[in-house]
Amino acid sequence: MKKSFHLSNFLFKILLGFICIFSFVAVVYPLYFVVIASLSSATMVNQGKVILWIREFGTYGYEKILEDKRVWLGYRNTIFYSLVGTMINLAVTMPLAYTLSRKEFRMRRPLMALFVFTMYFSGGIIPSYLLMQKLHLVNSVWAMMLPCALSVYNVIIARSFVEALPPDLYEAAQLDGCSHFKYFIKVVLPLSKAIISVLFLYYVVGHWNDFFSALMYINKDELKPLQIILRDILISNQAFAKGAGIGSGMMGGSYAQDYADQIKFAVIIVSTLPILCIYPFIQKYFEKGVMIGAVKG
Amino acid sequence: MKLKGTGIKNRKKEWRRDWQLWVMALPGLIWVIIFCYTPMYGIQLAFKDYDFSKGLTGGDWAGLQYFKQYFISPLFGTTMKNTFVIALTSIVVGFPMPVILALAINQLKKGLPRKVLQTVVYMPYFISTVVVVAMINILCSPTNGIITALLRNLYVIGENTNILGSPKTFVPLYVISGVWQSCGWNSIIYLAALSSADLELYDAAKVDGANRWQMIRYVDLPTLAPTIIILLIMSMGSILSVGFEKTFLMQNTLNLGVSEVIQTYVYKIGIMSNQISFSTAVGLFNNVINFTCLIAVNQIAKKKADISLM
Amino acid sequence: MKKKLTAIVLAVTLSMSTLAGCSSTGDGSGSSDALSPGSTEDSKAAGEEQSVESTVEKVKLSALAVKHPLTKDVNEMQWMTNLEEAHGVDIEWQQVSSDWDQKKNAMFASGDIPDILISAAGDADFVQFNGLFEDMGPLIEQYAPNIQEMFEAYPDIKYMCTDMNGKIYTLPRIDGTYEDCKNIGTMFINKTWLDNLNLDVPANWDELQKVLIAFKEQDANLNGDPNDEIPMDFNGIGNDYSPVLLLGGLGIALTNGYSSGFFAEEGQVKCWYVDERFRTLLVYLQSLWNQGLINEETFTADYSQFQSTARGEGTTAAVGFTWGWDKTDRFGTELADQYVPVMPLKGDVNLPDEKLYYVCVDCFCGKNVISMSAACENKEAAMKFIDGFYDYDVSLELMYGGMNEVDNCIKKNEDGSYDVLPPTDPSIDPSSWQWTNTFVNNGGFWVRKDVDVTKPVPDETLAEKALYNPYQEKIPADSIYKQDLMKYTENDQNAMAMTETNLKNIWDQQVSQWIVGTDDIEAGWDAYVKSIENAGLQQVLDIRQNAYDIYSANTGK
Repeated sequence: MKKSFHLSNFLFKILLGFICIFSFVAVVYPLYFVVIASLSSATMVNQGKVILWIREFGTYGYEKILEDKRVWLGYRNTIFYSLVGTMINLAVTMPLAYTLSRKEFRMRRPLMALFVFTMYFSGGIIPSYLLMQKLHLVNSVWAMMLPCALSVYNVIIARSFVEALPPDLYEAAQLDGCSHFKYFIKVVLPLSKAIISVLFLYYVVGHWNDFFSALMYINKDELKPLQIILRDILISNQAFAKGAGIGSGMMGGSYAQDYADQIKFAVIIVSTLPILCIYPFIQKYFEKGVMIGAVKG
Repeated sequence: MKLKGTGIKNRKKEWRRDWQLWVMALPGLIWVIIFCYTPMYGIQLAFKDYDFSKGLTGGDWAGLQYFKQYFISPLFGTTMKNTFVIALTSIVVGFPMPVILALAINQLKKGLPRKVLQTVVYMPYFISTVVVVAMINILCSPTNGIITALLRNLYVIGENTNILGSPKTFVPLYVISGVWQSCGWNSIIYLAALSSADLELYDAAKVDGANRWQMIRYVDLPTLAPTIIILLIMSMGSILSVGFEKTFLMQNTLNLGVSEVIQTYVYKIGIMSNQISFSTAVGLFNNVINFTCLIAVNQIAKKKADISLM
Repeated sequence: MKKKLTAIVLAVTLSMSTLAGCSSTGDGSGSSDALSPGSTEDSKAAGEEQSVESTVEKVKLSALAVKHPLTKDVNEMQWMTNLEEAHGVDIEWQQVSSDWDQKKNAMFASGDIPDILISAAGDADFVQFNGLFEDMGPLIEQYAPNIQEMFEAYPDIKYMCTDMNGKIYTLPRIDGTYEDCKNIGTMFINKTWLDNLNLDVPANWDELQKVLIAFKEQDANLNGDPNDEIPMDFNGIGNDYSPVLLLGGLGIALTNGYSSGFFAEEGQVKCWYVDERFRTLLVYLQSLWNQGLINEETFTADYSQFQSTARGEGTTAAVGFTWGWDKTDRFGTELADQYVPVMPLKGDVNLPDEKLYYVCVDCFCGKNVISMSAACENKEAAMKFIDGFYDYDVSLELMYGGMNEVDNCIKKNEDGSYDVLPPTDPSIDPSSWQWTNTFVNNGGFWVRKDVDVTKPVPDETLAEKALYNPYQEKIPADSIYKQDLMKYTENDQNAMAMTETNLKNIWDQQVSQWIVGTDDIEAGWDAYVKSIENAGLQQVLDIRQNAYDIYSANTGK
């Protein structure tokens, strides 16, 4: 028994090591590629000559992006939308998840069905646009935060989590004469640090990456988030592919192509660096043992 | 704790108990009614001839005409099949990976390797689709792509195969790059769920002499089970959803036979002439199938595991 | 306690904010509301008030410009500000640089569009959103002298902008200096390589094949490696710069819009994808592919990679034979001098000379550039402002950038000639600079034919393209099919959109599969043609023939 115990553990360690190393390399190489590509000349990158080292070093991409004051404006706007928007999201999602997790609540199932239905059926872009117009939200900061105030997907995972909390806790609280509000705030929230962190991350990233809301509802440059501005840069080379660069009076044709290519990879770094810094702070909530003291306390 | 009887006294008791729950659900409820249900009337566009001069709801009734138009088009079968194949493969391959990854990371002891792996693995999610496809084009190029060279050396593909252009390699390329991009991100929720596992269970298992495989089987997996099942149910509701942008960018004339999906087809028609009724009809059809699949899987999960979405 | 308070405050805030949003007029949304025409009684009254005082106060208009991603903020363009001042208008600009087609439908369907639209609407929109756009015909008669002059000089273009019912919903852009240029894609061959290998420029397909084989097998670029040359390169078949341009060598005359698959011959609209001469071309290309003479990546490379390949490495060229707009665009400045244009190649040595054609496409104009909203409150002011774009000098500004000291893009000399100034930012090339400072092809303008403009980099493009004129003049009148002058009803357009998408799916796949494979094209040809016919080809041909006949009748051509 002991021998097979050690053997199986040993095999386990090998497999674990393999999975971890493979995942690491598979993920790290392309990321590394993005970094060196952003510092190499675009022609070299497109011809496949950039493999392990930077070729024809240049910071043209970064210079152009950081010089452009629209990018800084975009940063400011996106940070605002992400933080305020996420606060709104959490405020709406967690209480709703709590309500839906209460098994004795009679309207639980119909309510859930109401929400789930909207994940699959929607009226389409045009009626939504008309609605936003009627509510006078077009071209306002609320257009970036209200239509996406709730993600049903996130509500569902939050609900699963809250449901999984030990029922004895609730019973104990009831005996003490605890109301739903009190129980939610004093017991559920502190125990839900892990799921709140996940929700926070999901919502923040959702806001950070959102360009659709801006595309549809924002026309003013002062309100545009980073993604829209960067998207302009990113797809400008596709604009040329369709022939926008061709035409009478053009001087030296698709040189402008070069600009788009040089910037492509730098855009990634610039747009995601801030977000990448958040995760390490949230990581600590994913450590084992968050539930310690719950049942006893 | 169900209350029996429907007497007024009981209703009042229920209300006194439940009013707080209603308050907590109120913001969400208001939101969903305003932003989701009010625009829902747009669905009727699928059944009407959109006529601008008559407004969004004023067109002539067209019944199932636009659905029929899609069903009889020569590309109906192809687009349905392609969409289904890509979506299903994505689910079958893409669903277990984050679970495995989360279990693996969870097994690592607290320390630098774990932190580094956890951080690095979710980064690809932030690389936008446009750049991911550009990278695929460069790294998998038949003439000087490094991944092509690697695969040829490992005899995974033939000497002359062009992975970017072959119908056989489109789906694997699409799915694998999708997994690469989202695996780490999707594993976050599982890691969070694992972190709330009861430590006492681990101790008990150790005392019983369980090896690490058994620990996973008897402690980790049951902890994850509710989350896995719920997420699986929800992903089955994407059985006919294939992202437009990535498919469109990865498409070329050589792999068109397997890469033309519903969304790209509707888009191409729309470039030439915006047929609002037609695209609404196709979209509705798409959603109906997704939803039906969701309900079916949900019922199965309910019967077998007593876990249900609603 | 703190958490509870926060939670409640937030919940309440959310519920209130939605309601508050309904009545807010204080922030940005309020002001744009006041400008969007006809939205409330108040703003309508305000608009009328303003037009009465237009001589004293500026007229407020709203405009939407769909511009290239490189183009800077319109509010920073001094020449635009000057133009607005000159016409006594104050324009609130909305600017869109990406994904406009996604947003367009919603905006148009809502019925609430800005007064002036630049590069925003297409033929299909004018038909589908009937009533949304203003018929500018009468307004042009009254307020637009420049445009009138333009239409008199180019009656064909006026016809192009007029719809089936005689209404003018759109205005064009015209570059008169390119009026005689009818060549969209020049064929280039690397002369340096030819010289290195002692070969002549080929004159027909067989000779081309021999030259390509020589490029492949020998070290044409003299860098010591005989294997790194790419004999022929292109980026797939469906665009304007593909081997389809060789069809002139078999007697098929391709004219405006040919890349959609259609051409005219003796008054009949036909589809070249199912023409036997196209089959001959396919057999030829298949044989080239199998000999390794075509770039492996041609069907899978994206545009960036495609352009990068042609730029080679430094002064070592990589590509021997290809098609492109002009030398510097296709190869970059370092390699441009190595290439020369190739005259049309005969595909069939027995083809009589007078049937050796080359593609003939009007390069100097474009339509659907400017439109006006039917709900615009001050149409007179809007029309006059639009007319300003077509002024002699302003048109040049739309093409090259501002003529003032702030923009510093183009300078007017005392003798009436113009100098385009080099970019003030040395790290940008002239072309990017041009696109940054003005709308270029996204704007409406009329650059006069006789204008004398000197550019910082001498431009051989026109001369290059003029070489093909003899081959274009040979095309008989009944083989000219200008697709952008055709007019269709909404039903026809919808039918064409659906059917042509299906057709395109079939022929795109089949053509590329044949070229890269070894299937017997002759044997599979009939089945292929049948599948195209089954997908509805005849319906499309009928619709197109109908439009073509109407055009011929109306213009006597």
